Amino acid sequence: MTASNSPADNTIQTSNQNSGKPTESGKLEVADLITIGVFAALYFVMVCVATLVSTLFTGGFGSIFLPAIAALISGCVYMLLAARLGKFGGITVMGVVIGLFLFISGHFVLSFIASIVFPVAADLIARAGRYKNKALLLVSYVVFSYGLTGPILPLWFMKDAYIASLQARGKDAAYIDGVFANINTGTFFISMAAILVCAIIGGWFGQKMMKKHFIKAGIV
Amino acid sequence: MHSTNTSTKAYLSDTGTPLCVESVAMTFSHSSNQRTLDPRTKLFLLLAANLMLFFHVSVITQLIMVVLFLLPLAVAGRWKLTVNFALTYAVLTGLGFLDPDALGSPWLHVVSALAVGCTMMLPCFITGAYAFTTTSPSAFICAMRRMHAPESVVIPCVVVIRFFPTIAEDYRQIRNAMALRGIAAGGWGLLRHPAQSLEYILIPLLMNATNVAQDLSVAALTKGLGREGAHTSRTEIRMRIVDWIMMIVALIPLALDIAGVIH
Repeated sequence: MTASNSPADNTIQTSNQNSGKPTESGKLEVADLITIGVFAALYFVMVCVATLVSTLFTGGFGSIFLPAIAALISGCVYMLLAARLGKFGGITVMGVVIGLFLFISGHFVLSFIASIVFPVAADLIARAGRYKNKALLLVSYVVFSYGLTGPILPLWFMKDAYIASLQARGKDAAYIDGVFANINTGTFFISMAAILVCAIIGGWFGQKMMKKHFIKAGIV
Repeated sequence: MHSTNTSTKAYLSDTGTPLCVESVAMTFSHSSNQRTLDPRTKLFLLLAANLMLFFHVSVITQLIMVVLFLLPLAVAGRWKLTVNFALTYAVLTGLGFLDPDALGSPWLHVVSALAVGCTMMLPCFITGAYAFTTTSPSAFICAMRRMHAPESVVIPCVVVIRFFPTIAEDYRQIRNAMALRGIAAGGWGLLRHPAQSLEYILIPLLMNATNVAQDLSVAALTKGLGREGAHTSRTEIRMRIVDWIMMIVALIPLALDIAGVIH
């Protein structure tokens, strides 16, 4: 029995060393990765809520405002993650995990690219302010929010495919043009501007909540 | 309460005693459900569905592919989902072929065009639903490890999957507490003060999340998640003949369509 006990003891000892050590090194450790996972789960739930709301409000082409609504409500999650972790890589990993789950739940594969590029940029911006500078954190949150544009990009980039399949079903060209008068660069810019505005409001709300609750409670 | 991070060598503590790990692994080793495909095949099907979006495939190819995608879903015993998807596809395709001018109501054009758009997205949703509802967390993690996904992505994924039920449970309790204080009670109560609802629900969730993150870290490190080297898994995944057949069969209509054989 004693012989079989010792490996377990060893494991506990080493793990205590790992978790007890303040995570000052720049590298992500298991504890950090778990924190990221917890926040990514919350963020993913926010995205699901945003999908629901967006679909309810805008009908068939529902997801146009998905990134904007998600940006509006998940500022708290992002700000708390940035404050808790405070090291490079966390935001990136969260973006990648979100992208992975979006892909598995049946979203467009290119959304994966958007959810790598934008979080990396957001991470770099936040690092420039050492994850403390409020203005830079806000900018980084705005950039991060564009990572969610992946699922809706097909609306513009798959337009040709859509038109082709409409033509294959015998719709006439004049009518198709009529439909796509709405889905053009104009709506693209409206959607992108909506993300910008919502992300600023959401990020500001998140920072306000941080100040109101978490700093007082000593969590940050 | 939250020490449920059992994806790696974690069963060591489930039994309560530090038994010889190998023998436990042998006794409880089980391969994933025989009636679902390998997670990697599911990933391949997802990619195939995405490729269908890229190369705007013809209606016939789409029909063949949708049937192919629905097949494993039915085999896995998800009858309700299968029937739902089949009906949705049938209705949407039917709507797509409507001729509004012949019916004399031009507004139907909108419905028809929307239907075509949704039909194009449907294969992705079918494969997505299949991947999501039939893959156990441990099989998913095992597949990611096999595909040499970096540990810094695997671990957050484990946590995300394990954490979803906790969020649901927390949410219920928060709503109960709010109802007790008469805040946002009733069906539309949440929508009356959206910012307040967001604050009252999200802040406790986040407070709890930070605690859970610490608990989980300690639990997971105790169970050896932070160790270097290869991790074993209780769940075995392997590519069977069915997997290869499924992948090849799904590829044939797609390749034929891209080559222009099917119109």
